[in-house]
Amino acid sequence: MEQLLHILPQSLLDGLTLGFVYAMVALGYTMIYGVMELINFAHSEVFMVGAFAGTEMLLFLQSRGYLSAMPAPVALIVALLAGILMSGTLGMLIERIAYRPIRYAPRLVPFISAIGVSFFLQDAVRLIEGLWKNAFYLTAPTLFTSVITITPELRVPAKSLIVILAALVMMLALNIFVTRSKWGKAIRAVAQDKETASLMSINVNSVIALTFFVGGGMGGAAGTLFATQYSLIDPYIGFILGIKAFTAAVLGGIGSIPGAMVGGLLLGILESTGIVILGFATHGAIGIEYKDVLAFVILIIILIFKPGGILGEEVREKA
Amino acid sequence: MLLEARGVSKRFGGLMAIDKIDFTMEAGQIASIIGPNGAGKTTFFNMISGYYFADQGTITLDGKRLTGRSPENVAGCGIARTFQNIRLFPGLMVLENVLVGMHRHLSANLVQIVLNTRGVRREEQRAYEEARELLIYTGLEGKEQELAKNLSYGDQRRLELARALAVKPKLLLLDEPTAGMNPRETEEMTTFIRRVRDERNIAILLIEHDMKVVMGISERITVLNYGVKIAEGTPKEIRSHSEVIAAYLGEEAPGDN
Amino acid sequence: MTARKERLFPASGMPASQILAWVFILGAGALFYLLPDSAIAFILFLASFLVLYKTPAAPLIKLPVAAVWLCVIMPLVGLQNSYYLGVVTQAGIYVALAVGLNIVVGFAGLLDMGYVAFYASGAYIYSIFATTQAANFIHAPWAHFPISGMWFWPFLFFGMLIAALFGILLGFPVLRLRGDYLAIVTLGFGEIIRIVLNNLDKPINITNGPQGLTPIQAPALFGHILNQPIDYYFIVLVAILLIIIVARRLEVSRIGRAWAAMREDELAARSMGVPLVKMKLMAFAIGASFAGAMGVIFAAKQTFVDPSSFTFMESIGILAMIILGGMGSVAGAVVGAVSVTVLQLQILKQLSDYLGQLSAEGILSIPSQIDPAKYERMIFGLILILMCIYRSQGILPAKRRLASWWEQIRVRGTKKEAEEGVDAARS
Repeated sequence: MEQLLHILPQSLLDGLTLGFVYAMVALGYTMIYGVMELINFAHSEVFMVGAFAGTEMLLFLQSRGYLSAMPAPVALIVALLAGILMSGTLGMLIERIAYRPIRYAPRLVPFISAIGVSFFLQDAVRLIEGLWKNAFYLTAPTLFTSVITITPELRVPAKSLIVILAALVMMLALNIFVTRSKWGKAIRAVAQDKETASLMSINVNSVIALTFFVGGGMGGAAGTLFATQYSLIDPYIGFILGIKAFTAAVLGGIGSIPGAMVGGLLLGILESTGIVILGFATHGAIGIEYKDVLAFVILIIILIFKPGGILGEEVREKA
Repeated sequence: MLLEARGVSKRFGGLMAIDKIDFTMEAGQIASIIGPNGAGKTTFFNMISGYYFADQGTITLDGKRLTGRSPENVAGCGIARTFQNIRLFPGLMVLENVLVGMHRHLSANLVQIVLNTRGVRREEQRAYEEARELLIYTGLEGKEQELAKNLSYGDQRRLELARALAVKPKLLLLDEPTAGMNPRETEEMTTFIRRVRDERNIAILLIEHDMKVVMGISERITVLNYGVKIAEGTPKEIRSHSEVIAAYLGEEAPGDN
Repeated sequence: MTARKERLFPASGMPASQILAWVFILGAGALFYLLPDSAIAFILFLASFLVLYKTPAAPLIKLPVAAVWLCVIMPLVGLQNSYYLGVVTQAGIYVALAVGLNIVVGFAGLLDMGYVAFYASGAYIYSIFATTQAANFIHAPWAHFPISGMWFWPFLFFGMLIAALFGILLGFPVLRLRGDYLAIVTLGFGEIIRIVLNNLDKPINITNGPQGLTPIQAPALFGHILNQPIDYYFIVLVAILLIIIVARRLEVSRIGRAWAAMREDELAARSMGVPLVKMKLMAFAIGASFAGAMGVIFAAKQTFVDPSSFTFMESIGILAMIILGGMGSVAGAVVGAVSVTVLQLQILKQLSDYLGQLSAEGILSIPSQIDPAKYERMIFGLILILMCIYRSQGILPAKRRLASWWEQIRVRGTKKEAEEGVDAARS
């Protein structure tokens, strides 16, 4: 038990950091689901592309010698911009090419198309990086190396704090955008009722494209932050993380933006601390290698017992 | 007494859709439920069919409790229905639609099907024949291999009826069976409903807006308004019932059409 | 009026297109037999099956041709060119898997993205006992591991049973879930199984984790050990035959109709008495059992299994096969599976050989990363995207069909009509 208490604070912090990443990616899922009732399976790869874009930007700056010349936060912002722009554009492109032509087809058709996009992108990035850099895994240069030691058990790397800070700022910006701006209102209108929104002279196609840009951009930012946090990236980082972020979105209530944020943090913490506790409880039989299983189990439990999520509506008065 | 509903209530969020309704039907009876839009008629149907759980009250069929049963279970007890907005199986053939209705009356199990036993083949052949007869009965002869989605509106309504009859129900719930029909088709439908009852001794409960049909065919009419029963009786009684007329004020007085 | 007995060929004096078709079929067969190493002949040979399928002619003619093609020509060629035999056998395994998944996805409308888990369970249940692995946790004097090859056959059933069990286990929680959510949960299950298989080497070593299990006992029949490629070819062929027969019988049965009704309109189906839970679980279980059986065969054939053969990508690959061929259509599943397998193992391999050659000759400098055969995800992804946008019904779209006796009933009328002396021919 003593041992558990020693490790728990660190896991909590790790979970929190990861949770913010989940939250940002979950926002993309939830926004797109809100306007289109589509689970954008390819969002995980949009995240991954963002990670690559940010990393390539940093590597570029590094190769030109600019990186050491600029303060780390500025480098981060530049990388973030690269990630956001790349992923946002990619998101819009995906919608235009792979979803719009089949928007009114039976529900499963766009979903399967999304799976196709996801798979395609994984290998596409691998191909591009393979041709360009002769390797498809990249290591992002570390920006923040300092570590704040609170106690021997709790060492807070500066990069974790930066991730959390950046995530908070961006989520706040998104919130303001969605609640205050004209376009944000348009997005919410389309999410509520597409037809009526179009009758109110809202260009639904543009709004959807914008949603994909914003959602994708968030995913891309999350990718860049992920790269700065964990350094090593490859074309397959999106898959598992995407499912977890989707779990987070469902956990918080799919379609709800605050829900995605809450869900992301909750999942991150549950995952990190849960697996540690499980490990102790089972004397190591269930260790961190089952971390992903824990997330899946949470997803299954939520979808069966409370599919509306924490902040979602209560369903089921019918058979 | 075939169907008995006692004190049935259903609420949706803050709205009381049905408030303590009592309702009975006898075997072989033709009855109608009428009322302005939103009165709770389809909700009541849906509760009999098993889609909605009753918040209060019980519904029984031949003494057997219906409330709490799943839709497939309710069908198994002998209740079949048609829908306000036709719900056929659009990608299936006409014949197949009817055959699905027979599902509970067939007994072929997985092993028998895999082995294609003689029993299965015989049962299927009999089912095909029965289905064809139902289609002839409902005037869809020759269209057995058409896909349901390609049928005309009138034919689709006929198919829905044929499918419901395939369930071999004791009670048939018809949700606005003459909606969208012209006078001639309406006449055909009315005659058909009577035939079904006369020849097969099935009790029929209709939701209808067409007052001519209601007055012409019903042995008893129940009037709902705002989820509450405001009147019940023979067509003659209902026609001159003051509350009913009041409820319909702004629409048409019953009897006019 | 009696129905005309079906002619062997629809009309004497066949249209030119039919004559051409038969020339192609017979020519491709002969060509492949004469040129066993030619890739083009191979592809034409495979194509001849499709042409044979679509050609209007009595089954009495078509089936013997197919039988000769599959049981004479292919084996003879295979004995000379074992690579093609391997490709066809592997394609055959995927055909079975595709038909199995088609039952879940195409017939019942349940998008199962964790299908590979059932495949894995069959493979592992056999492998654990067909290697020394089981000795790790079964310490009984009468138990000899690996079990003898004769046990392969009963294990085909055990594999089906275990997989069916998992199918039901998976089915229960997802009963009420809508299409896309159901897909994601099944994906989760598939991944859970894989992760578990990968880590079940402690505290007790059941699966040997990422190292996998080997060597796996080959099947044996009355003393003969069946470990030659030709043996597996025939085992897979028989398996496919049985699976296809079962699938087609299910399709026209009341179970198949119930599935179709469920798929079209769940609520209406329930209102007509279709027991939703039972039908969904049955779909999962039956589809899973086919995968389980093929898993056993796969394990024996490969003599080595490890969790990396059972990834999400495999599940999506099989899904791509069905989408390509035609969701809901048994023939479509066959076409899709063969197409994708041949695409990967034959066409892409040739492409990468070609590129490698160019690279070696210095014409093109391509890093070794770029091996088209390794870009399965891209291929699957493209297939899915393109099919969804341009032809979501697949190459051979599913078509409703009635059982054979319908024609007789339609023409001669029902017994009741005969009794009533009604002239049924008016229909």
